Amino acid sequence: MADMGLGMGINTGLGSTDTCRDGAAAPPVAASRILLIIPCFNEEASIGGLLSEIAATGRGYHTLVVDDGSSDATSAVASCRSPVARLAQNLGIGGAVQTGIKYAARQDFDFCIQIDGDGQHDPRAIEMLLDAHRKDPTNITIGSRFIHHAGFCSTRMRRAGIRLIVLALNGLFRGGGRITDPTSGMRLLDRSAIAFFAKAYPADFPEPISLAWAMRAGLTVSEVPVEMRARETGVSSIDGLKSASYMIRVLGYILLARLVRAS
Amino acid sequence: MTDALPSPETVVVISAFALIYMLVLLRKTLQGKFDLYDFLMLSMVAIIPAGFALFPTLAYLVSHLTGVVFPFVVMFGALFLVVFAFMHNMTARLHRLERQNSALIQEQSLLVLELQAKQGRQGVDS
Repeated sequence: MADMGLGMGINTGLGSTDTCRDGAAAPPVAASRILLIIPCFNEEASIGGLLSEIAATGRGYHTLVVDDGSSDATSAVASCRSPVARLAQNLGIGGAVQTGIKYAARQDFDFCIQIDGDGQHDPRAIEMLLDAHRKDPTNITIGSRFIHHAGFCSTRMRRAGIRLIVLALNGLFRGGGRITDPTSGMRLLDRSAIAFFAKAYPADFPEPISLAWAMRAGLTVSEVPVEMRARETGVSSIDGLKSASYMIRVLGYILLARLVRAS
Repeated sequence: MTDALPSPETVVVISAFALIYMLVLLRKTLQGKFDLYDFLMLSMVAIIPAGFALFPTLAYLVSHLTGVVFPFVVMFGALFLVVFAFMHNMTARLHRLERQNSALIQEQSLLVLELQAKQGRQGVDS
């Protein structure tokens, strides 16, 4: 059985007795071949709740928390309920997510689903992504905030920026459907997308740029409406003047992705 | 127009700088702090001005050939070219090292995870 290894939800033993004293156990072994990748950076306040929510769905999803060099007790809290890959240094969201994707590729998972560790994504929406993939099996299925505009939809400035990225992606690439939420961190990858991103994944602005790379390589993308919540803890790293710099660089990268031939 | 030659003081100062700088570079290269490529590129900062100071006729010939009035403009042009080439290669090397560093960190974390899973299984078996 291929997933009798790391994908079994083994408690990796990284958690201290203090952080694990609520008696939470590792999730039950399930037959499904779905891995939830949860990249985290200093999310000790939210990661425990998120993993409990995932367990409460009763679907027996395999989880992998990727601790991106946190300085708090994120790993200790998470390891009570999930395997944790601890990165020795902060690699950023791209490096953290790719670690999870490499794990999914090596453990032969059929799908992996990325969800943020800050509590923005409702684990109940995972089933919506899987349903959408069953109906329309594209390589990447994104949970979009902007199809029904329900729940937390970010600030007006950021929505305007996202619209620009949408225009660039939809104008420059043909990947199947029309993308509305390229910066969403909630997305499902099938085997082809897992294999593709295990080899190369953008370190900077990974969500929109990974879509550009994927569509350039001929992978297909679809979306499903999901509701997102305001983040429980922490602040966004893209604020103020950084937003303008973010936009310019993302648009530049997308253009570059269009001009450079897929390797 | 008569070609102005550098004064002996200029030649001495530039030669002394070139010599000292080359010795420093050589020492660092022998210590393993620079590789031969670094040594070659950085030594251009000494070699090019020294060449212009020690061989002024050659410097004027190059400036005439390139259509530049002042030889020192050619000299700085050559220096910029070397610096840009060095920076270009260094950026590529840095990017490659950054990627390798990220990959190593990822591998290390996954190997630790694998080891812990194996230990967990062994514990269950025994």
